[in-house]
Amino acid sequence: MTGDTRGALARRHVLGAIPLGLGRVALAGLLAGGFPTRAARAAPDGPGTTPLFPPRPPHFPGRARAVIQLFMAGAPSQLDLFDHKPLLASLEGKPLPPDVIGGQRYAFIRPDAAVLGPRFRFARHGQCGAELADVLPHLATVADRLAIVKSCRTDQFNHAPAQIFMNCGFAQPGRPSLGSWVTYALGSESADLPAFVVMSTGSGISGGAACWSSGFLPGAHTGTRFRNSGPPILDVAPPAGTDAAVAAETLALVSALDRRRLALDGDPAIATRIAAYEMAHRLQTSAPELMDLASESAETLALYGCDPAQPGFARACLVARRLVERGVRFVTIYHEGWDGHSDVAGNVRGNCAKTDRASAALITDLARRGLLDETLVVWGGEFGRTPMVEASAVLGRSQGRDHHPNAFTMWLAGGGIRGGVTHGETDDFGFHVVRDEVHVHDLQATILHCLGLDHERLTFRHQGRDFRLTDVHGRVVSGILA
Amino acid sequence: MVSFDRFLGLCLAAVMPAAPGPALAAGPDFAREVRPILAARCFRCHGPDEAGREAGLRLDEAEAATALLGSGSRAIVPGDPGTSAVVARIEATDPDLVMPPPHTKVALSATEKRILRDWIAAGAGYRPHWAFVAPQRPPLPVARFGSDHPLDRFVHARLAAEGLVPAAAADPATLCRRVHLDLVGVPPTPADVEAFVAASAGPGAGEAYEALVDRLLASPRYGERWARRWLDLARYADTNGYEKDRERSIWPWRDWVIRALDADMPFDRFTVRQLAGDMLPDATADDVIATGFHRNTMINEEGGIDPLEFRWLALVDRVATTGVTWLGLSTGCAQCHTHKFDPLTHTDYYRLFALLDNADEPEWAIPAADDDARRADLRRRIEALWEALPQRWPAPPAESPAGEGAGVEGAFAAWNAAESAAAVAWHIVQPATLESTTPHLTLRADGSILAGGDVAKSDVYTLALPPSDRAVRAIRLEVLPDDSLPAGGPGLAWYEGPKGDFFLSEIEFAAGGARRAVASATASFSGKAAFSGAEGAVTAAVDGEMSSGWTTNGRQGEAHAAVFVLAEPVPPGTPLTVTLRFERHYACALGCFRLAVTDRADARARGHDAATEAILAIPVADRDEAARALLFRRFLAGAAEVAEPVAEIRRLEAEVRAGPTTLVLRERPAAWRRTTRRHHRGEYLQPREPVDPGVPPFLPPLPAGRPADRLALAEWLVAPGHPLVARVAVNRQWQAFFGRGIVATLDDFGLQGAPPSHPDLLDWLAVAFVEDLGWSLKRLHRLIVTSATYRQDSAVSAALAARDPDNVLLARGPRVRLEAEVIRDSLLAAAGLLSDKRFGPGVRPPQPDGVTEVAYGNPKWTASTGEDRHRRSIYTFHKRTAPFAFTTTFDGPTGEACLARRDVSTSPLQALTLLNDPMVMEIARALGALAAAAGPTDEARLDLLCKRLVSRPAAAEERELLLARLAEWRRRIASGAIDAAAIAGAGDAAAERAAWTLVARALCNLDETVVKR
Repeated sequence: MTGDTRGALARRHVLGAIPLGLGRVALAGLLAGGFPTRAARAAPDGPGTTPLFPPRPPHFPGRARAVIQLFMAGAPSQLDLFDHKPLLASLEGKPLPPDVIGGQRYAFIRPDAAVLGPRFRFARHGQCGAELADVLPHLATVADRLAIVKSCRTDQFNHAPAQIFMNCGFAQPGRPSLGSWVTYALGSESADLPAFVVMSTGSGISGGAACWSSGFLPGAHTGTRFRNSGPPILDVAPPAGTDAAVAAETLALVSALDRRRLALDGDPAIATRIAAYEMAHRLQTSAPELMDLASESAETLALYGCDPAQPGFARACLVARRLVERGVRFVTIYHEGWDGHSDVAGNVRGNCAKTDRASAALITDLARRGLLDETLVVWGGEFGRTPMVEASAVLGRSQGRDHHPNAFTMWLAGGGIRGGVTHGETDDFGFHVVRDEVHVHDLQATILHCLGLDHERLTFRHQGRDFRLTDVHGRVVSGILA
Repeated sequence: MVSFDRFLGLCLAAVMPAAPGPALAAGPDFAREVRPILAARCFRCHGPDEAGREAGLRLDEAEAATALLGSGSRAIVPGDPGTSAVVARIEATDPDLVMPPPHTKVALSATEKRILRDWIAAGAGYRPHWAFVAPQRPPLPVARFGSDHPLDRFVHARLAAEGLVPAAAADPATLCRRVHLDLVGVPPTPADVEAFVAASAGPGAGEAYEALVDRLLASPRYGERWARRWLDLARYADTNGYEKDRERSIWPWRDWVIRALDADMPFDRFTVRQLAGDMLPDATADDVIATGFHRNTMINEEGGIDPLEFRWLALVDRVATTGVTWLGLSTGCAQCHTHKFDPLTHTDYYRLFALLDNADEPEWAIPAADDDARRADLRRRIEALWEALPQRWPAPPAESPAGEGAGVEGAFAAWNAAESAAAVAWHIVQPATLESTTPHLTLRADGSILAGGDVAKSDVYTLALPPSDRAVRAIRLEVLPDDSLPAGGPGLAWYEGPKGDFFLSEIEFAAGGARRAVASATASFSGKAAFSGAEGAVTAAVDGEMSSGWTTNGRQGEAHAAVFVLAEPVPPGTPLTVTLRFERHYACALGCFRLAVTDRADARARGHDAATEAILAIPVADRDEAARALLFRRFLAGAAEVAEPVAEIRRLEAEVRAGPTTLVLRERPAAWRRTTRRHHRGEYLQPREPVDPGVPPFLPPLPAGRPADRLALAEWLVAPGHPLVARVAVNRQWQAFFGRGIVATLDDFGLQGAPPSHPDLLDWLAVAFVEDLGWSLKRLHRLIVTSATYRQDSAVSAALAARDPDNVLLARGPRVRLEAEVIRDSLLAAAGLLSDKRFGPGVRPPQPDGVTEVAYGNPKWTASTGEDRHRRSIYTFHKRTAPFAFTTTFDGPTGEACLARRDVSTSPLQALTLLNDPMVMEIARALGALAAAAGPTDEARLDLLCKRLVSRPAAAEERELLLARLAEWRRRIASGAIDAAAIAGAGDAAAERAAWTLVARALCNLDETVVKR
């Protein structure tokens, strides 16, 4: 048993029936600081401002304190955005050499499909000379802040398992997601907002709720999904006909009755529930404030390309910045729609139009507010796309690219990351990684590292085994660290 | 049956040295103190896993641990820590020598080092792990604290030993509420409480409680309550999971579980039926439905997946679920390598896997016994419609002279003449050999070929036709329906694509070692290819292009035919090989088909089934009356003049076939046994040597003299003397009542699991469950709830909170937050809204917008109407990728993996749900209306609400607080500051209803409302 797990179990023991996570946190708050001891009896003393999960120290000082994950669901075409392969243009229409393909399985195409050349022009940007396609004009302006990893590899070639794998380190549902692990390890710095927020701006996520599940970690570490219409958090808005006064009065009434029950029954779990209601009450105020973008300047809105009335990627990025500003630990934004099986050029162009400006703006905005140093931004999909063309009469597809797990590109920026770096390299076909491979588990280990967490020590005992996000794999990619 | 002695012998042989070590001095307890240290700190490198073993040393077995090592030393010298290498190494300070090595980031504490040293000093005695030795019935401890109930005797013995005393009995109202919530999952009505409290005050108090318990055990709500816990283990859901997450029909299995629990089916039968009901002699439909337990695995329908990979992953899930549910063991580690802690080798894992690996997985149309009358009636109506069909033929215009060519007979004669002239005599051929890349093919007596078993995204059938005595110029391929196929066939497509679809990418003919060109291809019907709507024309099957092909999509369940005319005849006596290629992004091979040949170059697919065509090829004079009648119907069926009544016949025929389906297991025929292989590193793509089915050697052996198959596994689990199954089962029941298992790790009875808090109690219960209670869960539940331990007051004194915060010792009654379903059902019941409707497909209670929008394809959640809004939560439609929000918020499972114990969290989102969710407001409104209509006083109205929600009247100070708030809200409603109609709806007494709705809403949010105490 690692020290981390032992600590958790010891705390569980201290608080008995109270669940891990919120329970102990809330109680700690109610006891006005100081960790409760076995002898302590809950003595609620009015609303506090305890975070939902108070901050816990990392394993070692980390550079980042928050993460914004820009999950490009559907898998963007790295060959048309980052990984420039001029050879493919000259090979267009011809099959790849069979020894390159090996036994790779594909979702839709046959491995002997013809090559499709890059769809866009590439140019070098910034002092670092990062090579980017011309559909990323805004990202090009922050090129020197990015660590572009061209040598990512995953084990999965279907969307749902690959998305779950990228989030949970395991391709089947049931294990905790990255955000859950991080809030479990580090708690939250926000007293008023969920520690782990999930937004989605498209047509639905293949991996579903498994992508932000707490798995076998305490349920309170599940990502809280923000809705695109109406109040962001489910049931945060008071029922029709009631107002803030009724909400406050109801809270006071419920608290008073629960305190009476606590005095009679003595179960510390009642104190936890009282605290949860107080936190819920604060959420009802903080959530509307968070979503009220009126305080943002016109210049900022323009920077993101954000119309506050329109849910979409730009607004989600701006909200993500506001969340991080308010101490939220982990934010994931899913932008779906990158699955370019047909007309990959049109697919890339369309998705860049929706995301390029805001992704770059997020970096610029975080940087100018002094938040980028402590916020890790991660951009990427669940796998890459093939150098070969996808075309199918029966599916009406042409000029597309199929799923490709062997090589794809992601970028990271901000807390703990060295900007202006291009890491790893693929072969001339963009098919295989030939230098500095970064497996999904390595990415996860690196993200945890930036937060001051050792992926080998961050464990949780479940069904007799100490589980890790990175299973038995993962090594920190030191080449991109600041 | 394995006798205990023989079995113990096996265990000892596996875990202990042949000869006992030196007499043991009193030292640390091996099982409780020593093994946990060895397991956590040492077994990773010095345990059962040969592959991970360092220095050839294993410390999990006495013999190996005390053997002479290559270094010349012994790791453990019993009785002599000074010469034991283990002691030297754990106490070393040199980082190159110290164990565990620093790079493992595992370290021994000073206490742990001392325990190991003391244990070695005391003789280093090994004992088999307690859970792997069959339980023996321990003697009952003496009765203490005034109870001679067997369970109390064990609990009280421990309390006495700890210097504690049990709590007083809970008051009758509290107990009545507690036992209702536990046994039937809803609170008692105020009348129930009143009656019980009154009876408890009388002389028959003891009998009153037992009568209550018996009434609850007999309640139809019992099965609904307890089935839900079983559904957690079974990972039940109403959708397939993964990206597409489409709806599935497996609710008949869920209903089977409810019925089985209501009927108190003994747990051994309950087990065997769910694991292998299909293999029982004379299996009933119910037995087959029961096998849905392991069909609750997910199905990936994402475009382009490898179906065999996900079938394999479903098997991995089945092994894990079987392990947790019956064995209380986590087998997952051994998928990839020999278990680091438990004696389960990598090969053992795949032997267990092999026991479950030989089933096909059909979607089964349930033969409805009680439905026969309906179907017979339909068939009668269909026959009557056929009979009447000629009368529906339009009368010839009045002015036209009646005569030849007019009316139905004339039309038939004309049709008959034309069709007979064009008819071709086909010769059905039985292939000499059938080869297939994946599905298994069976040739049937009528020449048809039925496919079954697995499918791949690309499959090829190669059929060698025997030499014909006449030339072959054309080949007919009939594609046929069959009940065993998805949607009745003719294709095998069952995921992603339309069920029952096939896609013939190419058909090739070869004779005399050469490809034979096809001159023409015709089909009776060509459908639209799924996903694109592209024409699935039969010519596409001979165009040399794999991405195009022929399909009859849209007409599943029907027979159709394609006819391929060769450019040149194949001479008599030349064998012909037919190759059928099926390839799409989902598996799409043919499920049932038949080949026929003719020497006629003018053969065409004419839209007749083979029987019709055969009759048409006979000279008219030679046809008998039956043949004529068949032709006449065939003619009518295609005649535009009677299209309307024929459509009605088709509709009724579809109704005959309609009925619920459910997912089941079907053991594969012996000839098609799957070969199970060990998979290196647990990876699908790394199969290694084949393994035989079997069970791990540290457990009793499978019954001898019979096949090692799924049924053997099921019966082995519940055979007498199994060390784990009864313990695991009773422990789970115990946890349901007390919130904590006797073994706290419900899913892990292995070496890493928690030791039992009351080992003798666990063993007594396990033995009694089988021997005294006949595996009856109801009798077990009765035994538990009639104990004084269960009936204790649950208040937590300061002293007890400090001494035993987890209530391990049970010096007080249980106090646990209710499960998601129980909370919702209780609120609905309190408001008088809960529907009694049982069984059937899942329903969609209202939930806020946007819960499901995040799932793939932004599916809509359209709330059910009428009483389906208020059904018990076990009937709530469960969508895996976006589960019902209320359930998730209160720690309900996603249905993606087996779950033995739910987390019990307390979160602000739960508070928001109970405060603001529209469904809770609907409940509060109903309660508010009840209160407003009640009387005569506010006190009485308030008591009505409290009794309904928390099973007791309001206490004086509560009343004071609540009525003060009520008065204030009334004032604000009267002033218009609060909008009564918005809260309670317009209508009579809106103001009163609104005020009471707000009070009811507050009461719905009390800790006491959502807690069992």
